[in-house]
Amino acid sequence: MSKKVLLVEDEKNVILGVRTCLDAVGYQVDIVENGEDALNYLERERPDLILLDLLLPKVDGFEVLKHIKGQAETSNIPVIVLTAKAEEKDKKKVLTLGANDYMTKPFKPQELWDKIKHHLPEDF
Amino acid sequence: MTDKMKKVNLDMVADNLSDAVFIVDLNSNIIWLNRKACDFFHLEAEQALNKKITSETKIAKMEALLEEVFTKGEALKCSYEEASVKVKRHDQRYFFKIAINPVFTDKKLSGALVQLTDVTRFHELEKIKTDFVSIVSHEFRTPLTTIIVGVEMLREGMLGDLTPRGKEVLEAIGADCERLNRLIENLMELSRIESGTIYVEAEPTDVVDLVNEAVKPLKIQAEKQGVKIIEDVEPGLPPVAADYNKSVWVLANLIGNAIRYTESGGTITVSAKQSSKQIIFGVTDTGCGIPKEHQDKIFRKYIQVSDPGKKGSGGVGLGLAIAKDIVMAHGGEIWVDSEEGKGTTFTFNYPVYQSKETVKLPDENKGG
Repeated sequence: MSKKVLLVEDEKNVILGVRTCLDAVGYQVDIVENGEDALNYLERERPDLILLDLLLPKVDGFEVLKHIKGQAETSNIPVIVLTAKAEEKDKKKVLTLGANDYMTKPFKPQELWDKIKHHLPEDF
Repeated sequence: MTDKMKKVNLDMVADNLSDAVFIVDLNSNIIWLNRKACDFFHLEAEQALNKKITSETKIAKMEALLEEVFTKGEALKCSYEEASVKVKRHDQRYFFKIAINPVFTDKKLSGALVQLTDVTRFHELEKIKTDFVSIVSHEFRTPLTTIIVGVEMLREGMLGDLTPRGKEVLEAIGADCERLNRLIENLMELSRIESGTIYVEAEPTDVVDLVNEAVKPLKIQAEKQGVKIIEDVEPGLPPVAADYNKSVWVLANLIGNAIRYTESGGTITVSAKQSSKQIIFGVTDTGCGIPKEHQDKIFRKYIQVSDPGKKGSGGVGLGLAIAKDIVMAHGGEIWVDSEEGKGTTFTFNYPVYQSKETVKLPDENKGG
């Protein structure tokens, strides 16, 4: 069965790009466009991996990350933060909050595949 | 002279200047001041006389600046950064530019005229500009993600076949995305430096590692262009005190420039050698060289000396300005030697690692 990736991202074009990228290698992709929907989604679904933007409407990515890593049911799901924020302090902050990895926009599909593969090794 | 002009006296001029003006004697004691000086520094003219200008204005750096003028007997010649000062008054911060001119009595140096110009607004605009650059460069990254992901997927053939012409166009888009990305990186690095938030963490760093890391990603690009990169690192060098990532960036930037300005068949030599307590890095190319009149300008922001139509354009002239800031933050210096038509050598030095140290880029390094 194909692995399920949750993409939390509010930019339509980035969603299209990332979705196309993940479709191509056979992942199932679920999409939510704000932090609140992400938390609601996680009430009912268990993705194998989460790609999380930081600047999100309603509840921001930092809060979503805190929530994911603070709950026993979701804390084991690998989270890769995707963001246009490139400062060291942002990187440190999300890693402290428990993010498993960090990608700065823009990135190439290969980099995204490599990161996901790294955190879902049994898939390949 | 008209009648109206005759009614104007020098006091009128002095008291209505927007600058604060002091005249001091050779001991830096105030012997005259204008109304603006009294207003701004809360001074009573009579009481301020014969007191030290440093204590009355609470501008400590004035002492050294006056000293310089008295020693040389000529007007203060220093950079804008060195001559500007932050003054706090009523919980508000003001920035002043200090100008000092020597005063001569009977052809003998007798004191100095100190003029303080309020440049607060200018500083605010600088800050707005720095913030703007930072915000804009961040905002560029998201749309660039869509473009780069799309281009790569198309290039890999994952979205169907392209015509040969389509592939060609796609390659051009891909190359220009890279260029745009580099530009954004440079702008961000610059705004970090300007806002003073960049820290250079000097750690013991292996010179060979540094050079390899910088050369590796550029080898293919150089080979494609028929340019050979030679590494010439003196064996057995001690570690340097360097911020690894930023230093790799400096070297890579210099090598990248060299590749852009070197024709096929040329070579680029990346060298490192020791000279007492310093490691001297060099990037030498056999490219077109830099005309003498441009050599002192190239480390300034937004300066590019090549004819934009010619080979070599592809940046906006930020790389060297940033490289200079980074090298200086390490306590080193960077310079260029070049002969038109023969080639160019960029050289910079880093201290050999001695003990743990963290160097913050000082505020005074702003601009340039």
